[in-house]
Amino acid sequence: MNTKQEVNTKELGEILLDVAELLMNYGASSNRIRLTVSRISESYGYQSNLLIINTAITIFLNKSDEEIYNSLRRTSPPMVNFRIVSGISRMSWSVAESIWTLDQIRAELKRLKSLPHYNRWLVLSLVSLAGASFCRIFEGNALEMAVAFVATFVGLFVRQELIKHKLMLYVTIYIAAFAASFVAGAAAKFFPQSSMEHAFAASVLFLIPGVPLINSSSDVLDGNILTGLSRGINALIIGFAISLGILTTTLIFN
Amino acid sequence: MEWLLFFEKSLWFGFGAIGFAVLFNVPARTLFVIGILGAIGGTIKIVCMHYGLNVITATLLGATTVGVLSIWAAYNKNAPPLVFSIPSIIPMIPGVFIYKMILGVIALSGDIDTQTYTLTLAQTVNYASKVIFIIISIAVGVSMPLLIIRQTASKNSKFQHQ
Repeated sequence: MNTKQEVNTKELGEILLDVAELLMNYGASSNRIRLTVSRISESYGYQSNLLIINTAITIFLNKSDEEIYNSLRRTSPPMVNFRIVSGISRMSWSVAESIWTLDQIRAELKRLKSLPHYNRWLVLSLVSLAGASFCRIFEGNALEMAVAFVATFVGLFVRQELIKHKLMLYVTIYIAAFAASFVAGAAAKFFPQSSMEHAFAASVLFLIPGVPLINSSSDVLDGNILTGLSRGINALIIGFAISLGILTTTLIFN
Repeated sequence: MEWLLFFEKSLWFGFGAIGFAVLFNVPARTLFVIGILGAIGGTIKIVCMHYGLNVITATLLGATTVGVLSIWAAYNKNAPPLVFSIPSIIPMIPGVFIYKMILGVIALSGDIDTQTYTLTLAQTVNYASKVIFIIISIAVGVSMPLLIIRQTASKNSKFQHQ
């Protein structure tokens, strides 16, 4: 452990809240947020306690019962970006090992936020390939795999366009699920000899709320039952939105 | 001969995992490992099912393996375990059962005669139970190894008495 440097309590508290907010928004579990924040605060000689609920994070920061900092930060609806989660985790380890000034941490957080996403067309083609793979895993034939590829491509494209317009999350999911299953349904009309069942099942899988689901389970098993439940209900509503999309397609084609 | 089929399926499991890894914007240095983990987990699931294991238990085994390996990968690649585990287990999601369950619920909410209703109800409840238990197996299988390791590790931690 390095020699602890003196820092302004308020500034450190703000930075820790930034870290917690980023982790919460981009898909880390409650325990990971606590671990990362306390790893950073301990390397400056502070004790931190977090109160995490699904829409806000409160921090209680103290050093030998004298300086106490306490603040609350609202969090935005979660998205997934593991590059930021992973980068913050790495940063917390190097903060614990060597001396970082608060400005350095601020600059690193800013750098992490500006890191690029994968190229849009690369994402579209790899996720569509994943859709075709799911179709093969479900014992679909080559034709169904091709349909699953196109359906996933269209669905994800629609979703990316809707995200730009900042629509409500569940509406985005519903429309994307409808678009993807509509392509599979149209293909079933076009090739009546094939049931397209597997293509149908694979086409909406890219919308599966995997991150809320796993984080919900880790939170509940870890004792953060309330946070876990709210994440689980979020996953459940996403599931309902997907089913509604499939339902709409079924109503149109029957 | 079936081993060739397993190998082919494992490739698709790998591609599925990589697709989701890109969607979740993981760091590029972890992509390859995620593909391998996805392939291993999925192959364990289908091989277990081939030798007569129940689909729920097979999924639990596959997911637990991914959970354990993701901790190992996290130490080697300097990224949190969830970066590796979440994309890798998504190909194990029972898409066909979910789809049949949704179709069943849609059918049950329509106007159908009693005879068909009973049959559809039985099938839908069967699919729904499978879906619920498989998803619980995936979630618990992936999170459990990390929680167990963390509790063992914290016993040796020097921060324990703070």
